[in-house]
Parts: sequence; C-alpha cells; structure tokens
Amino acid sequence: MDSGQDGRDKQRINAEIISTICATGQGVAKQDTARRNATGQPARRQKKLLHRGQRKPRHGCKRGYQREYRRASIIFCIVYFTCIFLPLVLILVWSLTNVWPWPNLLPERLSLRAFTQVYTSGANFLSALFLTVTIGIAVSLLTVFAATLAARALVLHVFRGREVFRFATILPFLVPQTVFAMGIQVLFFKLGLANTVSGVIIAHCVVALPYAATIMVDVTQAAGTHLEEQARVMGASSFNMARFVTLPVLLPGILSAASLSYIISIGNYFVTLLIGGGNVSTVMTIMFPFLASEDRAIAGVYVVSFLAVTLLVFLAFEMILGRLGVRERKSLFGG
Amino acid sequence: MRAREARFDVRSSDALPDMRSGTRPSIRPKSTRLKSVLPPGLRLSRKTRRKLVPYLLFFPAAILLFFFVFGMINGVLQGFGIAPFLGKYDLTLDYYIQALTKSELSISILFSLYLAVLATLGAAILGIVLSAAICKLGAGRKIRLFGVQMPMMVAHSVVVLCLLTIFSSSGLLARFLFELGLITEPSDMPSVLGAPSGWGIILTYIWREVPFIAFCTITIMAHIGDRYGEAAAVLGANSIKTFFTVTLPLCKSAIIKASLVVFAYVFGSYEVAALLGPTLPKALPVLAYYQFKLVDITNRCLAMALNGITIAICMVVVIIYFITLWHERREGQWTQARTGETNKE
Repeated sequence: MDSGQDGRDKQRINAEIISTICATGQGVAKQDTARRNATGQPARRQKKLLHRGQRKPRHGCKRGYQREYRRASIIFCIVYFTCIFLPLVLILVWSLTNVWPWPNLLPERLSLRAFTQVYTSGANFLSALFLTVTIGIAVSLLTVFAATLAARALVLHVFRGREVFRFATILPFLVPQTVFAMGIQVLFFKLGLANTVSGVIIAHCVVALPYAATIMVDVTQAAGTHLEEQARVMGASSFNMARFVTLPVLLPGILSAASLSYIISIGNYFVTLLIGGGNVSTVMTIMFPFLASEDRAIAGVYVVSFLAVTLLVFLAFEMILGRLGVRERKSLFGG
Repeated sequence: MRAREARFDVRSSDALPDMRSGTRPSIRPKSTRLKSVLPPGLRLSRKTRRKLVPYLLFFPAAILLFFFVFGMINGVLQGFGIAPFLGKYDLTLDYYIQALTKSELSISILFSLYLAVLATLGAAILGIVLSAAICKLGAGRKIRLFGVQMPMMVAHSVVVLCLLTIFSSSGLLARFLFELGLITEPSDMPSVLGAPSGWGIILTYIWREVPFIAFCTITIMAHIGDRYGEAAAVLGANSIKTFFTVTLPLCKSAIIKASLVVFAYVFGSYEVAALLGPTLPKALPVLAYYQFKLVDITNRCLAMALNGITIAICMVVVIIYFITLWHERREGQWTQARTGETNKE
C-alpha cells in the first residue's frame, strides 16, 4: 500500500495496456515463449544448486517428472492461448476484409468497407453502443449496491429467514434466465417497465445479482468486523466508519463485482430482447441476426466494436484495482 | 491506514458497540438517525430497530429477488393453466402432459441434457487442467488477466462467430483442407451450423466456460499450492499425487459449485442453441421461446410448461449445490483456510 508499491503497480498496468494494444495472436504466442525462457532460467539455476546439495528439493523427490509436468503445463497453456486468441484475431481480419473468396487462405483485399457501412448507415449503431454502455454501468452500480448491503446482512447479522434469503440470492445462478424472462414479461407489462430501458436495467440486475452477491459475501466474510469495531471504539461515527474503514476494505471486491456485472449486462441477449421488446436496441440485439449470416465482415465489425467497448471498461477497472494495490481479483467461489 | 487521519469526535459510550445482545457483536446501526426522523408516537424500541436492520440492508436485493421469484412462480402457474391475462383460471395438468408425451418435446429435453452434461464435463476438466497449469507455471497477473478474465468477457454469441469463421463450410479449416487436397467443394465440409450432434454448441460452451471454471478455481488452487502443496512435497509426494490427494479435494466444492452454475447456464440458455442448433431436435429453451412467441398467445401455457420442466431439472442442481454448501460448512475446511488467510494479512 506504500507509494513505491503503487508506482510499480502503475507501471505494470501501463505495460499491460500497451501489450494489449500490440497483442495479436502471434504476438501473444511469442510473449508466451519469451515467458517460458524467462522462467526456465531460474529453474535450471535451481537444479545446479540442488546438485551441490545446498537446498532441499522444493516439490517432490522425482525431479525428472517435475520437469515433464512443467513442460506439459507450458504446452497446454500455449495451445489454450492459441485457441482463445486465434479466432478473435480471425474475426478482426474478417472485419477488415473486402473480398475473401472461398479457397484462398489469405484475404484478397483489405478495406474499411464494413466499418464505414456499419458506422455511417444512420446513427443507429453508435447510439446502440452508447445505450449498451449506459445500461451496463447502471446495472453494475445498482447490482453492487444491492449486493454489498445484502452481503452485510447475510454475513454480519443473525436474523429470521437468513438461510431463505441466502438461498434466494443464489437462485438466479441456477435457474436459467430464459425462464425468468418469459415469466416476468407479463408483470413488466403491467408495471409499465416492458419495452423501456429501466425495465431492461432491472432485469439485468436480477441476472447479475448472484454473481455480485457471491463475491461480496466472500469479501465481507474475509474482512470481518474487527477493523470496524476498532473504528467505533475509537469514536468514529457510523458514516466515518463506512467512509474510512468499510469502503476501503471492501473496495477490491466491489470493483470485481462491478466489472463482472457489467460484463454480464452487456453480453446479455435474451433478457434484453424479451424485456426491451424492439424498443431497446443494444449492441447484442443488433448484432445477433448478423452472427450466423453470410456477410461475415459486417458481423466482424459488430463483434470488434463490442469487444473494444468491453475491453475498455475492463481495463479501466483493472487500472483502478492496480492503483489500489490489489494484486488478485476476487474470484467467484472462495479464494 | 487512512482511518487514522480522520478526526473522530468521541461520543461517550454511545459510540461503543453494544455487546449485550446477539450471538456476535455487530456494529451498531444508524439508529440515532432513524429515531430522529420518526415522530415520537412511532418511535421503535432499540431492540426492534436492531432487529429491523438486516431486513433493511437486504431490501434492495429483495426487490430484485422478488422479481425473479415472481417470474419463476408466475411461469410455473401459467404452465398449470392459471393465466389471468388469458382469462384462464383452472388448474390443469394438460400442458405438462402434452409437453411430456409429445415425442418432439421429450427429445428436446434429452438433447438439452446431453448438451449440458457434455459441455459441463469438458469445461470442468479443461478448466481444472488450465488452472493447475497456470498455477504450476506460477504465471503472473498478466497471464491470468488475458488468459482467464479476458475470455470471460467475450459474450457467448460472439464465440459462435469465432466458431463459424473456423468451422463453417467456407471457414478457415475448410480452406486448409482444400489446400491439402482433401476436399474440393465447400459443401464437402460438414458444417458446424445445424449439426444434429450439436458439437458446435458444446464446443462454444467449452470455449467460453473453461475460463470461467479456471476463474473460480485458480485463486484457491494457488493458495493451496502455497500452503499445503509444499507440506505434501516435504512429506514426499510427487506433484501428480499432491494434485489428486491434496489440491483436488480442497478445491472440490468450488469446482462442483462452478460446474453446477455452468450446467444450469448451458441447460437453460437460448443464444448459442438458437444460432447453431439443428432444426430438429431443438434445445429446450429454444423450443420454449418458439412456443412463447407464436402468434397464438394461448401457446404460452405450453411454453411455460416447458419452462416448468427446466425449473424442475434445475431444482435438482440447486439441491446438489446446497448439499455441497452444507458439506463445506460442516467440514469447516474453508473457514479454517480462510481464517488462516485473514490472520496472515
């Protein structure tokens, strides 16, 4: 938490952003091999030490196996990274192609045709992009607010029906959103929420709540109450306690939950479609019909724009987390 | 800490946490404010106020959950033929019987189950291997960021496009095979679109859920590796043995919970199955939505009966989830690990 740590983290984040911008599929693969060499070096050095008998073996006694496991892990990671990034790069290439006739392995001509076509055909897509981000941010704020308070109730208080509430919080995880969306549509019509942006936001919040709540319950449990009690003993008012103790302690979890909720919201198609009707058009609802269509360049442009927006917000969250000195983001089920 | 910088006004014993009642000492609520707002006649006793706090805290989440539970119950009721907006008020099992006896529908249920089971198994196994591999390499934050968290942002329907660019009849793979002289026409390539075996759907979900499973297990696995892995190594276990006897049992509940979430998601989600699925058999959610949006609004009851079946199957998942949760708490392995964790910090 000291300033030196802060500076280093900031540097690392900057390096990460630069590498994201540069990273194409091959670039990532190269990074990977570079990392292998870099980490391979100390391992060899350690082996020499072992021969001299200066240090005990760190893991197990059969070092031959040890190296094989390591090699297998490296190979698996490389294959995995290729599988993850190759298709995404391919989509990027598709979005930039003009003509890519059938048997050619490489596209014939690159152009910005699809981009101009999508972005200049009315302000439709840009406004959809804006609406998507707005909904995403609203959803993450609301969900995190509800989840943080609910987590406090579930962890720090003993009350009647606590287990029922706990059960209800997990429920949207395990009962599909299609069921929820079809069932709630009638009620939303009656409340006047159907076909409105606020209706979509509420529905997205419901879908994102269990993710946020699971993270927040974990974080609240880990934080405990002793810091808050100290603050109160020292005479802090409840507002000061929340401002100077509770919030900083919970912040990493809050940001993780917020970014997860954002991702869930902007990637949602079915709930947006059903609650938003035709009125609320997000990137997802515009993109969907094009995904399985023949013009892959147009679909590619939609996907590239979508991923760019997602990545931007994701990196912003990462940057804030890094600045706070948080090394690890909270994962979902404990840890 | 920054708390020290703040200047607090010490307010006698009023600021101290109340230790008298309750099993665990909790922070005193903002009771003073509540009291001043209410008129004298409506003032609640301190005990009532204390009891009210958790419910107030839970209130925003409760509103959201109310919508969810209402949607679920409403759906189930409509499946039983109670749909006031259609003018139907009689309880009937017709729609469920119709859903379960029609051969097309029962095949849909089996198809969805098949997709969900295979996708979950594949994702769970590969996800565990991935997080073990990343832990083994001691990979840094950047690898985790781009290998695990970034793929999670890619929406499912985007993955469908990824798959199509590679596996469709004019995709990259077909072009490679043409180059090698194995096929001559795009139509020679078995397309991923609408394949009756649904391998495209399964592959899509595996692509997307492997990072999810890894995301859920990687932190735990890293901690276990740090703490118990070395102990096991000192006692003479090799790493495979350590993995199966120490790491995996300790990660078990996280893995099970993540897999159940994946299962329920795959079983009940619409997008991927709608884009890549065959016309027959349709996945259960696709079929339900198909019935739902038919012009004849009376078909909604049948759609809801299908949803009811989805809920019934998901309830099994819920029960397994809660058994896992219960076991986890009873064994207390995690609380132990966690308290160790907080002490270290």
